Amino acid sequence: MRFLTMATLFVLSIFAAQLVRIQGFDAHAVAEEAQLKREAAQVIPAMRGTVLASDGTVLASSVVREVVVVDQQAVCTFGTGLHECDPTRSAEAVRQAATLLAPLLNTTAAELVPQLTGTSRYRILSRDVTPLTWNTIEKLDIPGIYRDRRETRSQRTYPQGTTTAALVGYVLANGEPGGGVELMMQEQLRGAPGRETFELGRDGTVIPVGESTVEPAVDGRDITLTVNSNLQWYAQNALAQRIKETKAASGTVVVMDAKTGDLLSVASYPTFDPNTDVGKKGAKLGNVAFTDVFEPGSTSKVMTIAAALEEGTVTPSTPVIIPNRLPRYDKSFKDSHEHPTLYRTVAGTLAESSNIGTVLVSETMPPKTLETYFRKFGLGSRSGTGYPGESRGLLARSEDWSGTTKATVAFGQGLSVTAIQAASVFQTIANNGVRVAPRLVDSVADADGTVTTMPESPSTRVVSQRTANDVSRMLEGVVSPEGTAEEAQISGYRVAGKTGTADYYDAEAGRYSGRTASFIGYAPADDPQIVVAVIVQKPTYPFFGGYVAGPVFKDVTTYALQELKIPPTGAKPPRVTLRVSPEKALADPTLLRDGRKRAGG
Amino acid sequence: MRASGSERGPAGLTRWARHDVGLYVAAAGASVVGALLVWSATARTDGTAYLVRHLVAAVVGVALALLVSRAGQHRIRLLAPWVYAGSLLALLAVLTPLGVTVNGSRSWIPLFAGFTVQPAEVAKVGLCLALATLLAGRVDRGLAPGGRELLTSALLVALPTTLVVLQPDLGSAAVVLALGAVVVAVAGAPRRWLLAATVLAMATVVVLLTTPVLSDYQRDRLTSFTDPSADPQGSGYQTRQVRLAIGAGGMWGQGFMEGQRTQGGLVPYQLNDFVFSVAGEELGFVGAAGLLVLLGFVVLRVLVVASRSVDAFGRLVGVGVATWLAVQVVQNVGMNLGLLPVTGLPLPFVSYGGSSMVVSWVAVGLVDAAHVEATRR
Repeated sequence: MRFLTMATLFVLSIFAAQLVRIQGFDAHAVAEEAQLKREAAQVIPAMRGTVLASDGTVLASSVVREVVVVDQQAVCTFGTGLHECDPTRSAEAVRQAATLLAPLLNTTAAELVPQLTGTSRYRILSRDVTPLTWNTIEKLDIPGIYRDRRETRSQRTYPQGTTTAALVGYVLANGEPGGGVELMMQEQLRGAPGRETFELGRDGTVIPVGESTVEPAVDGRDITLTVNSNLQWYAQNALAQRIKETKAASGTVVVMDAKTGDLLSVASYPTFDPNTDVGKKGAKLGNVAFTDVFEPGSTSKVMTIAAALEEGTVTPSTPVIIPNRLPRYDKSFKDSHEHPTLYRTVAGTLAESSNIGTVLVSETMPPKTLETYFRKFGLGSRSGTGYPGESRGLLARSEDWSGTTKATVAFGQGLSVTAIQAASVFQTIANNGVRVAPRLVDSVADADGTVTTMPESPSTRVVSQRTANDVSRMLEGVVSPEGTAEEAQISGYRVAGKTGTADYYDAEAGRYSGRTASFIGYAPADDPQIVVAVIVQKPTYPFFGGYVAGPVFKDVTTYALQELKIPPTGAKPPRVTLRVSPEKALADPTLLRDGRKRAGG
Repeated sequence: MRASGSERGPAGLTRWARHDVGLYVAAAGASVVGALLVWSATARTDGTAYLVRHLVAAVVGVALALLVSRAGQHRIRLLAPWVYAGSLLALLAVLTPLGVTVNGSRSWIPLFAGFTVQPAEVAKVGLCLALATLLAGRVDRGLAPGGRELLTSALLVALPTTLVVLQPDLGSAAVVLALGAVVVAVAGAPRRWLLAATVLAMATVVVLLTTPVLSDYQRDRLTSFTDPSADPQGSGYQTRQVRLAIGAGGMWGQGFMEGQRTQGGLVPYQLNDFVFSVAGEELGFVGAAGLLVLLGFVVLRVLVVASRSVDAFGRLVGVGVATWLAVQVVQNVGMNLGLLPVTGLPLPFVSYGGSSMVVSWVAVGLVDAAHVEATRR
């Protein structure tokens, strides 16, 4: 008996010791492990920021979509006050529920009834319910109708559809950005998802006394672009129409603020509908203006002439004798059309877009100098907007230029640029020789309304104001009746610009195929406000820049001047001497001609 | 507990004073704590359903205990063989289609309205009474049990043990075996008999563990105790959850109805086998240890009554009851604390389970009858 008593006491004290061990010493670790095993977390999705045009038009926005599900075994108790289905009253209960729900789920009661009837405990009724509609549904208090919070998602919509798609980009089904501004500004747009933790019982329900935390989601920031939505719309349509008319492959229209470098429009063709086309086979989801490179052709003569003027090796009125053929190394260069020996000024060379004349001008400088100017104009490096997939173009070092390349780079072959880079060259001339890097994002707004304006783009002086103004007057000559792009004239405004027609190097085919037709210019020429670059790839004959791109330039520029309320200056264009008589040319000691270096420096 | 002669109270009070009030209060205390724990363990899913059933069983148990106690030692002795025989019949019946299999054990006979009876519980009372009846005569005459009594005892123990093992319900079998061994030993069985019984018991354990007598389910439960983390989602799951729950209780517990594991229903069988974990989590060390002290008091009080018993029958019944309750408490709390393998033994008075509750109270009644007998003389 005593033994039994002692044994009982002994065992009880062992148990007490074990209790102390578990609850006293191991308790902390044990409790922590317990926490981990029970805790469940729910992500609270953050609303992705909105992308706006400079005028406030929404280009991309996110909406919350709730997923409404049904427990078919519970709906049948609607209105019956029962906890389980009563077969005699189920049909009526379901019909009543369906009648109430149908208008909210955009369907009919007849279609809804079969979805509410059955034994399934979980069935998705709609994935596309707005939070407002859900609140209404919730108030109906129909048993078995739930919102599946795990499935709540933010859906991206693009109200402008195809118009801005190629610029704004898209978001993939998994919520990750797929390209364009969406990808570029991902860090700002995405926000930080919140997190709600709670503890789950074994049956999967939340333990009411469990610990719970809520870390609210931080919505993404709103991005305002520099792009004007009306201008973008107009440019996109004008481009698409012209591309169809000329049966071209692709193209882009870049409209830039001449003084700030702000991109007012970046039209790109082909485009897509980000609401429906993403993920479709063969959809072209890129932006031609940033990613497509092409040989600029005649438009880069502007840089060559500007460089020579800046270096002082020529003046606008320096006479040039332009033969029909110019042999250099193993090649004989010619102009776009056969001609007798011409007597032109440097200005005339540019106005008539003579390859041979431009080569002669470029030969007044060492290749290294030309390369330096090209690079200062922005060639061979990215624009600085950070646009995803942007190309830096191709500009080899002058040391690596072959004999013929030394000649061809002068008139825009043997190097390649993006439309943004090409537009930037003209912006530099238009802005009195100061290059301002292109700018795409104007401001970022926090969820609390704080607006942070993005810094102005860095500006660098490339050529002097005098040189820029000289080149500008020459470019006005291009649009004059004597130049190559009379069709770009806009009545009442002074316009400067340059046509370009170059062979198009098809990277996919690995050879030259088709042409690049371009027209890049700005207006008003005497106080430039906007730069417009129109590039069309692989148009059918006639493929000349003036013919293909000129009308688009004229339309878009005319519209832009109206949209941006830029008045005509009313000043008369200066007369620029394009031609010289042979006698006068030969008498000029600064004359440029083949095989003869200019006398003096 | 004896009423003082000089200060006679009302007749009823005197009558009640003969009963072992301390034992009743301790057992009732354990039953109330059990009711609260069962309620907490089931409130979220079933409201008060289990609480009500638990209380009903407790009330029935108390009533039966008083009835047994009032019946007196003499009548109990007369009824003893019938109780034993009845319990054997019930044990046989459970193996027929009358029985219901739950978790691999055929241990229950459904009665009415969802109530079931567990014959193994009744067998404990039956064996206790049968052994006491058999051995008391010789002990009262100052003689040690002879060979015939010992063989009969062995048979009396072996019959229910075998039937319970066949269910199979190893926990109850262990209780029955221990009960029988201790009663026989206290009755004065020679050492060599006890040694032989011990060897036999150990041999049985070896056989059980090495032959297919055990189901996979039981083998899993026995082995998972040694390393609960081996299969955290399987058989080791409950051992692990129980430990986490008790560990989370700390000194003062998380509060009644506020234990996170308990309310989450994370511990399987937390209303019966693992009800101690609810005490551990919600009432903490203070509550769990308090519950242990309470149950320990019940066991020790039964031993005290047994030692003061005026005859061998009362002493042997008391020792049997004490052994039975002690083994169940030790086994149940031991598995809750991860010290012993998991067998489905209820914690007397505390765990949910009508049969266990009722027979535990009947045991109290039997012990009380001995107490009343002692005070009467």
